[in-house]
Amino acid sequence: MKLSTLGLASALTLGLAAGSALAEYPDRPVNMVIPYGAGGATDISARTISEPLGKAVGQPLVMSNIAGAGGATGSVAVQNATGDGYTMLFARVGTHSVSPAMKATLPYTLDDFRFVAVYEINPIVCVTSPRSGITSMEELIAKIGDGGISYSSAGVGSLHQLSAVMIMREFGIQDPLSAATHIPQKSGGAAATAILNGTATFLCTNSSAVASFVTGGQLIPLMVTTENRVEGFDAPSAAELGRPSLHQLVGWTGIASPDDLPDDVAAKWSDWMADATQDAQFRERMEARGSIIKLMSPEEANAFIRGQYDTFRTLVDELGMRIEG
Amino acid sequence: MSIFDNLVAGLGLVANFEAFLSLFIGVIIGTIGGAVPGMSVTMTVALTLPFTFAMTPITGILLLLGVYKGGVFGGSIPAILIKTPGTPASSATVMDGYPMAEKGEAGRALGMALWASCTADLISNLSLILFAGFLASFALSFRPPEFFTLILFSLTIISGVSGKSMLRGAFSAVMGLLLATVGLDLVYGTNRFTFGDPNLMGGLNFIAVLIGLFAIPEILSVVWKPGDAHDRTRGLGKNWVTFAEYKRSFKSIVRGSVIGVVLGSIPGIGAAPSAFLSYSEARRKSPKKENFGKGEIEGVAAAEAGNNGVAGATLIPLLSLGIPGDVITAIIIGAFMIHGLQPGPMMFVTNADLIYGLFIGLIVSSVFLFFIGSAAIRVFKFVADVPRSILFPSILVLCVYGVFAVNNNIFDVGVMFAMGALGFVMLRNDIPAAPFLIAYILGPMLEDNFRQAMLMSGGSPWILVSSPITWVFWGLTALTVTAIVRAGIKAGRNAVQKAVTEEG
Amino acid sequence: MIKLHRQSVMGIFAAGLGGILSFIAIPRWVATPANVPNIVLSPLFWPYTLAGLCVLAGLGLIWVGLHSNERFNEDEGEVSGAFARVFFFSLIAIAYVWALPVLGMVWASVLAFAATAFLLKSDYPKLALVCAVLFPVVLYGFFAHVAGVAIPQGEFVRLP
Repeated sequence: MKLSTLGLASALTLGLAAGSALAEYPDRPVNMVIPYGAGGATDISARTISEPLGKAVGQPLVMSNIAGAGGATGSVAVQNATGDGYTMLFARVGTHSVSPAMKATLPYTLDDFRFVAVYEINPIVCVTSPRSGITSMEELIAKIGDGGISYSSAGVGSLHQLSAVMIMREFGIQDPLSAATHIPQKSGGAAATAILNGTATFLCTNSSAVASFVTGGQLIPLMVTTENRVEGFDAPSAAELGRPSLHQLVGWTGIASPDDLPDDVAAKWSDWMADATQDAQFRERMEARGSIIKLMSPEEANAFIRGQYDTFRTLVDELGMRIEG
Repeated sequence: MSIFDNLVAGLGLVANFEAFLSLFIGVIIGTIGGAVPGMSVTMTVALTLPFTFAMTPITGILLLLGVYKGGVFGGSIPAILIKTPGTPASSATVMDGYPMAEKGEAGRALGMALWASCTADLISNLSLILFAGFLASFALSFRPPEFFTLILFSLTIISGVSGKSMLRGAFSAVMGLLLATVGLDLVYGTNRFTFGDPNLMGGLNFIAVLIGLFAIPEILSVVWKPGDAHDRTRGLGKNWVTFAEYKRSFKSIVRGSVIGVVLGSIPGIGAAPSAFLSYSEARRKSPKKENFGKGEIEGVAAAEAGNNGVAGATLIPLLSLGIPGDVITAIIIGAFMIHGLQPGPMMFVTNADLIYGLFIGLIVSSVFLFFIGSAAIRVFKFVADVPRSILFPSILVLCVYGVFAVNNNIFDVGVMFAMGALGFVMLRNDIPAAPFLIAYILGPMLEDNFRQAMLMSGGSPWILVSSPITWVFWGLTALTVTAIVRAGIKAGRNAVQKAVTEEG
Repeated sequence: MIKLHRQSVMGIFAAGLGGILSFIAIPRWVATPANVPNIVLSPLFWPYTLAGLCVLAGLGLIWVGLHSNERFNEDEGEVSGAFARVFFFSLIAIAYVWALPVLGMVWASVLAFAATAFLLKSDYPKLALVCAVLFPVVLYGFFAHVAGVAIPQGEFVRLP
């Protein structure tokens, strides 16, 4: 029994091995690491694109959630993997522009990764509760001047925290760190709940995370950071408010690999992503959640991520927000 | 529209073969997923999610809800049979379920788990339908100060699960609290006991700690004292739970369900604390206190009622406010959104038929759970008859696969074995594992909410007594602590008297 | 020499653990920013509280141990070779974790299963061997192909 099973297994393996000498990349399933837990925004985005992407790749995509430490655990797992194209990462604004800018002890840097694409952009929106009596950015800024205002986030060193600080700074508050109190929560969902129950006054987050609350009238949108208004949010854009430098403050999702990925493999990923993002069903589902589908080439993606990182890093250094311990 | 009109509209929506079929399949998938340690309900629901994309909204959501309901019960099967909770929520079930299995009464334990689960499920679903509006506003009044006092009160249940010695239970709890500090600090993001290792920055994986603490020490105990000779005492046994036993435990089941409903409607607590709270309340009220932890069927009933009571109530904040109470409901919210539905107060106006359709489906799911659960017990019962020298190596391998699958990380497997070693030392020294686990779950919540409250108030402690809810929980905590101290003094006096009599 | 009750030994251990935490572990391995406005907000506050509780629990255990005559599990009597077997099981566990990325989860599990069954002195050695091979393979099939988990494959023999 044992022998025959072993024999069967090795025969299958030999068959596969013989196949792989002839076939080119990819000849086996590709492990796609999602650095956040099941059910989160990154997870849903990743699983939505995995359907058309799997068809383009022609091999199964195995989705692996490796969550922890604000995405660092999963990113490190990919950083340490071989760059053979069989381990890829769903990189996110949090893991690859906010965390490197904020955390001195982060065990990886941008140079450890090669970005093959950015496929999704998420506008950032600032919201408050109707009970706060605030209806516009102007009023919010005035109230911050009076003191006693707080904002929630998905944790220290998260996009939410950085967004709130950057926006306050853009609106002329010189020392945002002491002007308003930061009340960190455990997750993005908890951050929204904290506004609903009055723990904190305002929150700047991905539009998709609060879309339902805005539609239901439980939260009031104050502004969006994009150039144009966002559907479903009755709030001025950063351009209308005359703060075009906030356009850079957006969320994104992309695909990255360890930095030693061969060029021909990277080229294939660009093609596959071009195919996958054309899928009508995929676009429809993502847009229903408030995302903007925008495929960037590897060069564009790199420039975009580095630009965003530099902006964030400058701000963090100016304010002394960097987490050193 | 009246409730009756809505009900009719909802019935129109679910009264088709596919809706019930998908609910039925969902319960089956959930029971299996829950029964595989490490799979967990969360992962099973996440895996089922993509299949709902192509379905109509009601069919897809019923499928997910079926998985959820089935999974919460399914977790109790391995908890009873192999001392490995299939889901964190079923860890309280281990305390009396496994001793019963050891005595050859696995059939009774599983039967009671099923009956208690179905009853609690039904009560939870009915509360969702009847009190959603009221409980939802209650949920929103829980801010960090209220949470802090609630969790402080919940920590007193440690005394109820400490077994022979309060002090050893307290020591166990402190160790659990200490271990939970590993990771990144909430407010400043600095490292605590991470030694620069990225695997430790996220804290220790909860499932790895859970399985390491319960299952591995059991394997080590068999290694300590091996042999297939006393297999005959195990086995499912012909015994099945009787109606008289159900009636006797009925009070505990209802109490557990109510605890589950209240804790479930508050976002962020989860099913495990509810199961432990229900268990310790049942023990406190029971005339057979001594028997708890040694195979008391009422303990199984209370634990299962506590965790299933949560399963319907978590939908209260989800449907009425759009707030997910835990990770599982967060995934279910995702399913709503993919279909273009946005849970929240508006949904009762815009999609009332769908809501009432879901309500009908939920009630039916309790019935499905009863039949599928009975079948599952029959399928899994062979596990109890497997010789120990085959069963325990299988558990070992299953735990490794399961713990790896939770977060795709080999490091977690190492954590599981390390926790197993600690758990074995604790077992040999009669230090109970349950307080460790409760502290590990509640400790970080206590600290985080305390610090969030301090941030809100700018450092003033008065915020911790600023609302009626906090007063209630401070009062309850004071009452419970007084009762514990009095019981402790009484026990101490008796012990001294006994020692004196023995000497004299 | 006075024979201490086991509970007191535990207490000494607990109190010692609290001491080590307060004086060595927390100052060394818990980082804190330089400018914390309020002591209760410091990342150190909670660990120090716990270390204090740990010492308290330890002192309590020492005191109770001095007055207690409670009997423990282990007093049931020694089981021959128990320590040696537990030691060997620890070796199996260490080798198992180490072998996971090298051999792959399936083959490492086959070996660990067989070794553990042997350690448990199975009355059914043939059945144990069959299960040792079948069970990990079946679990692989379930986790890899039904649940879609990337089970580690190892460097030698890949499964489909």
